Amino acid sequence: MTKKDTAQAPLTPAVLHILLALSPGERHGYGIMKQVEADSQGKVKMGPGTLYGSVGRMMEAGLIRESDKRVDPEMDDERRIYYELTGAGRTALEAELRRYRSVVAVAEGRLAYGQ
Amino acid sequence: MASEIAVQRYRAWYAMLLRLYPRPFRERFGEGIAQTFHDLCLQRRNANRGLFGFVLWIFFETSKGVIMENTTHMTQLSKTMLRAALVALGLLMVPLVASRVVEGWNWPPGAFVFTYVLFFGTAMAYALIARKMGSWAYKGGVGVALVAGFALGWSNMVHVADSENPANLVYFSVLAVGVVGAWLARLEARGLARTLFAMAALLALIAVLLPTGAPPYLNRNMTIGHGVFVALFIASGLMFRHASLAGLK
Repeated sequence: MTKKDTAQAPLTPAVLHILLALSPGERHGYGIMKQVEADSQGKVKMGPGTLYGSVGRMMEAGLIRESDKRVDPEMDDERRIYYELTGAGRTALEAELRRYRSVVAVAEGRLAYGQ
Repeated sequence: MASEIAVQRYRAWYAMLLRLYPRPFRERFGEGIAQTFHDLCLQRRNANRGLFGFVLWIFFETSKGVIMENTTHMTQLSKTMLRAALVALGLLMVPLVASRVVEGWNWPPGAFVFTYVLFFGTAMAYALIARKMGSWAYKGGVGVALVAGFALGWSNMVHVADSENPANLVYFSVLAVGVVGAWLARLEARGLARTLFAMAALLALIAVLLPTGAPPYLNRNMTIGHGVFVALFIASGLMFRHASLAGLK
């Protein structure tokens, strides 16, 4: 699958949540997990295996990239690798949100017709 | 509330589990995964929540990831081997066709098998090394170094067999420098650049110091041959240097 294809293809739930978590700015692994939990109001709990497996595939697809390694001032003194969205990642996220909107529009219209 | 000792113990066990990931994945993400696990444990501990059940879930979840990454890795390796085998077969067509067309080209079957193994080994080496870095300069450097190394080894092998002069075996020291240098550099671009420059320098030194014993009319051709190999090693070294500098930015 090419990078262009990835930007247009439907995303897995894990990839969508990671892209959403990174949309405001760069985060390290633990930061992504906390943001995913907050975005989903605790409904999605992602473990390190799922997170880093997805991160690896997303980096290969060009959706995200490593930014740099530095200390998080709010945490301990260990240096952490940060991840950020690429242009292709932002495009993929926008395309997925458009798909969701169109599905919601169809569903709402059908439910309204049913009533 | 879980103690600091318990957190350290769980972290040590988790590090052992992470060793089951395929090596390339572990080298890339192992540190981050271990750090995230530690952060999660500290968060639970600071919230005065039990750790055992949570750690058990993380171990289970990570084990699923280990199986998935190993499966993906094996699939990729199989695909790489298949591609290398096909490329080697394509290259083998050259001597195969030549043995039919060129008069006096009479290789025994063993020579074709040996050549195929060399082609396959070189193609696999390219596939496995070149994926260490996404940069075109790194991939180009690997390609040029392998082609030049293969050609040097091959031509020297033929030359030694024809001339029966064991002094020519000294050329294999250039390849030995390459193998040892690549191993010491752990295939990092900066170290590989130095290795290729060292190979070029050693080959130039051998060309100057080793008496060829060849008639004067052949000396010119040998000088050109040496010059081409030195230029290829330098070109490869420059590409690795470019990849190294680009990686630092």
